[in-house]
This record gives sequence, structure tokens and C-alpha cells, in this order.
Amino acid sequence: MNKIHPIFIIIIRVILGCIFVYASYDKILDPGKFARDIANYHIVPFGLENSIAIILPWLELLIGLGLIAGIMVDGSAMISGGLLMIFIILILQAILRGFNIECGCGLKEGEMVGWSKILENIVFLGASYLVLKQKNRILEFYPKTPLSQ
Amino acid sequence: MSYKAQLTFFFSFSVLVGLISNSVRSDGISWLAEPIDAISGPNDALSILGEPEIREVDLNMARSLHQSGILFVDARAEEYLTEGIIPGAIANDDVGFLAEQIDYLIGTEKGFVIYCSDDDCGSSEELAYELQDLGFSNILVFKGGWKSWTDAGLKIEKNE
Repeated sequence: MNKIHPIFIIIIRVILGCIFVYASYDKILDPGKFARDIANYHIVPFGLENSIAIILPWLELLIGLGLIAGIMVDGSAMISGGLLMIFIILILQAILRGFNIECGCGLKEGEMVGWSKILENIVFLGASYLVLKQKNRILEFYPKTPLSQ
Repeated sequence: MSYKAQLTFFFSFSVLVGLISNSVRSDGISWLAEPIDAISGPNDALSILGEPEIREVDLNMARSLHQSGILFVDARAEEYLTEGIIPGAIANDDVGFLAEQIDYLIGTEKGFVIYCSDDDCGSSEELAYELQDLGFSNILVFKGGWKSWTDAGLKIEKNE
């Protein structure tokens, strides 16, 4: 995992961070709509979609800022990977159950679930993995060195 | 800073910010989603969907609505208010100002009760239609109004 140039990792890190910050923006502005989008997946029990809609966008914003600013990059990359795996599973089950629903991903208004969203999330998941596993990382401010070193 | 510490920071900070922002913002949502109320029968559905949205309530209903804290609006002219008002009710001869006041207190979608002097006064209905035209969508007219309220010996509020 040390063959990739650190500048390339920074670029990936910042792009991934920007994606999370951008994705969080609409969700923070309208948690009610995000809660309805989550409910459409018919997988979250006990009305918990509201709690998720209140907390998740802030988590996305924080890890996005962490990735961009080089603060707690390991934690940010680990959470982003975890979230992306959950998103992939959610979208996959929606496709398999035949739901034609809005993704609620926050990247594009009115975007529906589909295989392209899964592919997109797999790419982001790969980016998170690269950032997390790369030992030779630079421009990180807190902690100064990656935990994998 | 270990993985565990970083993850704890991100999760706890997100919960904290989410909690604070949701409690201070005007369009905050409840922490648990509530299911939509089921309609019990066709009449129930028609009464909800039908026009107009102004509906009548009797004394018993008005009393229980008052106990549940719903806003009451007194439609009587100012000179009658010296007799007193239903506790917590608001009143104003200027409909525009009254509309602003109701909007400020409960918004345009929540229900409220309008009453006037008695069964035949009519000013509560008149005010209800005026307020409906101004965008209020859930108006209840208390038939019997002030007279039936005081005849029943219910609490009133005297103006100073």
C-alpha cells in the first residue's frame, strides 16, 4: 500500500471529504425530507428514521471536514467506509425488493436508486479504503501520523 | 489518538450537534417518526377531505379542546369583552392584526376555535371565513359561544 504517491492520496482524501460535505448540506437543511427518504427504504424500525435524519448528516459533515482538513483522517475514513457499506446494502435491498424510490443520497436532487448508485458507492468505498490503508500519508494535522504506521 | 477515541469523538459530537440544532430550529422534527393516523370510516374521510374546512363544535367539544390547550379566538366586538373572555382567548377588531397574531402563535395550519356571543351571533362564522381567506386552514366555530360557556359555569377571564 506504499506505492501510491502521497499527493494522490491527498487528492482522493479531499475529493471524498468534499463529497461528504456536499451530501450533508441538503440533509441538514431539510431533515424532514431526509427522514421520508430513509423511511422509503422500509428497513428502519420503530420510527428511528427521524433520529437517523437528525444525526447522520452532521456525522457526514464532520467526517467530510476531517478528511478535507487532515484531522482525525483515520476515524473519518473508517466511518466513511462503514457508511458507504451500509448505503450499498440499503440500495441493493431496495433494488432487489423492486422499490423505485429516491436515493436520498444528497448528491443530486431526485436521484433514484439503481445499480449506478451502487457502483458510485463502491468507488467511494475504494477511495476510503485507500486513504485508510495508506501508510505514507502527508499533510495531516491531528494526529500527525496515520494510525496504521 | 486511537481509532476508538476518534470514532467516539465523531459519533458523540454528531449526536450532540444534531440534538442541539434540531431543538433550536423552527422546523425541527420529532426523534421518532409517528405513523399517519388511520381513518376509521368513509364519513371520517369525507369530513377531512371535504370543503369548507370550517367546522362546528359544541360546548363539550369546546371545553375539551380548551383543556387540551387549543387557541381560542373571541370574535365579539371590543365593547363586549369587558364581560370577560374564555381564559387564554385572544381578540382584536382588526382582522389583519388578529391574523398576524394567530399566525405568530400557532401558524396557519394548526386548528383554533372561534366563538362569539351565543348561538345566533354569526360573527364567529364571519370571522372564520375571513381568516380562511387569509390562509388559515383548520378553523372550528364554537356554537353557543360565550353564553353557553358562562351558562355552564365554566371559568372565565376578566380583562383588567
